[in-house]
Amino acid sequence: MKHFKYSIAILIAFFTISCEEVIDVNLNTAPPKLVIEASINWVRDTPGNVQSIKLSTTTDYFANEVPPVTDALVSITNSEGTLFVFTQVDEPGLYICTDFVPVVNENYTLVVIYDGETFTSTEKLLATPEITRVEQRNDGGFLGDEIEVKFFFNDIPDETNFYFLGIKDPNKIIPEYNVIEDRLFENNEMFGLYSNPDFVTGDTLVFTVSSISLQYFNYMNILLAQTGNSNTGPFSTPNSTLRGNIVNQTNFDNFALGYFRLSETVVEEYIIE
Amino acid sequence: MLLKRISLTVLFFLLSISMTYSQEKFTISGAVYDQNSNETLYGVNIIITDTRSGTTTNEYGFYSISLPKGTYSIQISYIGFQTIEETIVLDKNIRKNYSLSESSQQLNEVILTDRKGKSEIRKPEMSVNKLSIQEIKEMPVLLGEVDILKSLLTLPGVTSAGEGQSGFNVRGGGADQNLILLDEATIYNSSHLFGLFSVFNPDAIKDLKLYKGGIPARYGGRLSSVLDIYQKEGNSKDYHVNGGIGIISSRLLAEGPIVKDRGSFLVAGRGSYAHLFLKLTDVENSAYFYDLNTKLSYKINDNNNVYFSGYFGRDVFSLNNAFINTYGNTVLNLRWNHLFSDKLFSNMSFIYSDYYYGLELDFIGFEWNSGIKNYNFRYDFKHYLSDKLKVTYGLNSIYYDFNPGKIEPSRPDSGINEDQLDRKYALETAVYVDAEHELSEKITISYGLRFSNFLRLGAQTLNVYENNQAVIFNTDFQIYESATPIGTVSYGKNETIASFNNLEPRFSISYALNDSQSVKASYNRMSQYLHLISNTQSPTPLDVWAPSDNFLKPQLLDQYAIGYFQNFKDDEYSIEVETYYKNIKNRVDYIDGANLIANEAIERVVLNGRGRAYGMEVLFRKNAGRFNGWLSYTLARTEQQVVGRTPEEIGINNGKWYKTGFDKLNDISLVANYKLNEKWRFGANFILQTGQPVTFPNGQYEYLGITVPSFNNRNEDRLPTYHRLDVSATLTPNKNKDRKWQAEWVFGFYNLYNRQNAASITFRQNEETARNEAVRLAIFGIVPSVTYNFKF
Repeated sequence: MKHFKYSIAILIAFFTISCEEVIDVNLNTAPPKLVIEASINWVRDTPGNVQSIKLSTTTDYFANEVPPVTDALVSITNSEGTLFVFTQVDEPGLYICTDFVPVVNENYTLVVIYDGETFTSTEKLLATPEITRVEQRNDGGFLGDEIEVKFFFNDIPDETNFYFLGIKDPNKIIPEYNVIEDRLFENNEMFGLYSNPDFVTGDTLVFTVSSISLQYFNYMNILLAQTGNSNTGPFSTPNSTLRGNIVNQTNFDNFALGYFRLSETVVEEYIIE
Repeated sequence: MLLKRISLTVLFFLLSISMTYSQEKFTISGAVYDQNSNETLYGVNIIITDTRSGTTTNEYGFYSISLPKGTYSIQISYIGFQTIEETIVLDKNIRKNYSLSESSQQLNEVILTDRKGKSEIRKPEMSVNKLSIQEIKEMPVLLGEVDILKSLLTLPGVTSAGEGQSGFNVRGGGADQNLILLDEATIYNSSHLFGLFSVFNPDAIKDLKLYKGGIPARYGGRLSSVLDIYQKEGNSKDYHVNGGIGIISSRLLAEGPIVKDRGSFLVAGRGSYAHLFLKLTDVENSAYFYDLNTKLSYKINDNNNVYFSGYFGRDVFSLNNAFINTYGNTVLNLRWNHLFSDKLFSNMSFIYSDYYYGLELDFIGFEWNSGIKNYNFRYDFKHYLSDKLKVTYGLNSIYYDFNPGKIEPSRPDSGINEDQLDRKYALETAVYVDAEHELSEKITISYGLRFSNFLRLGAQTLNVYENNQAVIFNTDFQIYESATPIGTVSYGKNETIASFNNLEPRFSISYALNDSQSVKASYNRMSQYLHLISNTQSPTPLDVWAPSDNFLKPQLLDQYAIGYFQNFKDDEYSIEVETYYKNIKNRVDYIDGANLIANEAIERVVLNGRGRAYGMEVLFRKNAGRFNGWLSYTLARTEQQVVGRTPEEIGINNGKWYKTGFDKLNDISLVANYKLNEKWRFGANFILQTGQPVTFPNGQYEYLGITVPSFNNRNEDRLPTYHRLDVSATLTPNKNKDRKWQAEWVFGFYNLYNRQNAASITFRQNEETARNEAVRLAIFGIVPSVTYNFKF
């Protein structure tokens, strides 16, 4: 349904003799907050034993780097109490585990201890459908002048599902994400759609799909709206603090940003023809 | 208790009047017309100079005044027309119609001493602005498109969220809290092209009046304002055509008699050029809007008039047949004016209006339709009981049919499932009585009461939630989430799902210090049963209306205002100062990440909040002379608050008050017109206002390889101050004088000094460098325009 807003933004761009300019703005900076990026992706047809979790803090909006968190203890426990420890190897702030055991529908608990405070979150590892086929059109996009690629998969039948889609386009340095729901497509074939006027034959696209929870769907919807090209202006929704699913057990009000989620992930490569 | 006391007071006054009524009195009544066209004139002053009492003509040009037997001198005066003065002998009831001739056809001196819009001193009416269509046409405008709504923004207390945004905000009210009436019919979306232009063709409009407060009891259903717009009736003497050719659109209007002096027609069309702004020629794109106004009037006899009004407007966008978007309003109104006696005027109206929104997205195989329809019946009476007392009363009943959305696959191979979101039905009924009562030479009051009832009707199946809570609070993550229904309940056709009653007292008083100074005060309570489901900074055409129910409570408003009014230097100047305070209950807000589109159960994403707005408005006018215009200044604050329903809940914005997106602390407008000679007229507007409230990031973090801005409290930052200067020059060639074909050229510049006003500041990652940057979007720099207008 995000297509709606997207469409309006495009129209506005067409109809206005508008002018964009990069300007200097003085911003306040809030005290740093812990950010936990804990996305456990069990890539289909791999053992999934190597997983990573990234810790950092918030910083000044115009800073070039975000400060990594290097002195935390990170682990995940499954429902039987098996402990998977994540440790920093090379990259500061990146905690890696090599003996993780992914099981669909298993519940896992994340524990992060940082600065004397304990952060936890519990989630289930979700199953993800296969990508069934890929279609390419050379008259895609709004104006019919873009190469458009559609990745199809079948909605998991008879339940309400949400999917997280990612695309790595070699022409872009910022990854593209989207979250979709099966509300209008229940039990039917669904698709991810991506187009770019700069595609050339031989470009390799990497497409990923992961099942997600309703809560993560809501979370990512807000996050993508806040990072997108329309986080202010007439068609934007009000911005607010974005809370994930990680709770500070020691000091409740000092919550961490970020999210803990687990799923099977299907990765598909496609070479532009 | 207050309500009861007020209704008793109303009764008391009515009674006291009927007692003084027995004195021998006669009535003079009739209608006032424009001599040229036989158009009735609204708001003409009828003054009995001996007694200094008087009245004004109503929306249909009718007046009535009752006086003791005697000889009186009567004066009929109206802006832009020559005043008539004559002596009448009132020894029986008199029916007398007057025709006024335009002063511009007379000597120039007449125009130069013409008083344009002096302040009403004695009438209790306050917080009301009138703009004549002539004044509106003289103001410099964007791209040469005369725009009624944009002109309103130069008045105190009226703002918009920003440039190129749809709707307008009155005294801190939402754009959906304005009742916009075109010949009494509700217009649901007042904008073309997402807010760049308004849907009203200025050629077809006769008059308009904006009520910001002190709203009479005959209006209801919206909280903040009433914009009452009247279409012209058409010339019943001669055939005329006028039109204009502009950069964006062209206009054409034809009017004339059907039966000379009795019946007339008016048809006006306006269309923009296709491919507007679209430079892309190799593909099938088009974008345009058009609208059509019609009116038929027929005078059956002196006591009966019938009118038929129609409006149809559409915006159409089509991009490569992959994206097709159509939306607009339709309005039909059939009216019958009937005089029961020379003191009792009545009008009965049957009104249909609808708003349609359609979208086809071929690339996802998706078609969408939504809209609202209503059938409206009104019967209004105006009773001229004496020269000191006028009473209006009536009833109004509106049946609504809401289509929140229908989804269909647009192609056979589409994966979309067809779905009709539940239609919703409602009936809104109101009865009212309103009196305008001159208590003494100094004090005039107006008091009224409106009783409104709203029934949400079936057939519909509704969700049932645990503890009747459709939104639940997740205490672990401190976020609001949609509740899962625990069952459903079905209502049959026309079965009542929810019912609401409200008593809405209205009161205003004026105290005249002398002939040119007065103080006034007013109070009004309003209720609004419809909600525009919109979570964006300004409304979009696809936003749907929803009726009140057990979750979306009716919005209620109390407004208090006091003001000081003065005309000075022989009415050449006037000043109006008002302050107001408003309290709003049950203003909805939305939980974070609420998805409002195609949402079958809106109650699962809304929370009820409250609002408050207060401010001071100053309007200084120079009403006469070659050089005239006004300066308006508004100092205002408008805020909203949603607190948690229980102590555990945080509410929205942590339960703190936050500024609404259209809060403008300071707002200054200067409008000036200068008539150099018969050939040249010049106009200028200067606008300066506080920037729009926005939320800027207070940090960033990295997530999944993208940088995410982090935000704190809502709307605590502001865009830079907005200001611009517009100028226009109108050339009326000399050769017009002796020919039928009259023409004029209007040249203009919008934003003359090319100020890059920020419509938004976006915080984003640069696509090439991945570095964070702040990007200002300015919609209009300097925009030149030229328009050619003609009439014959």
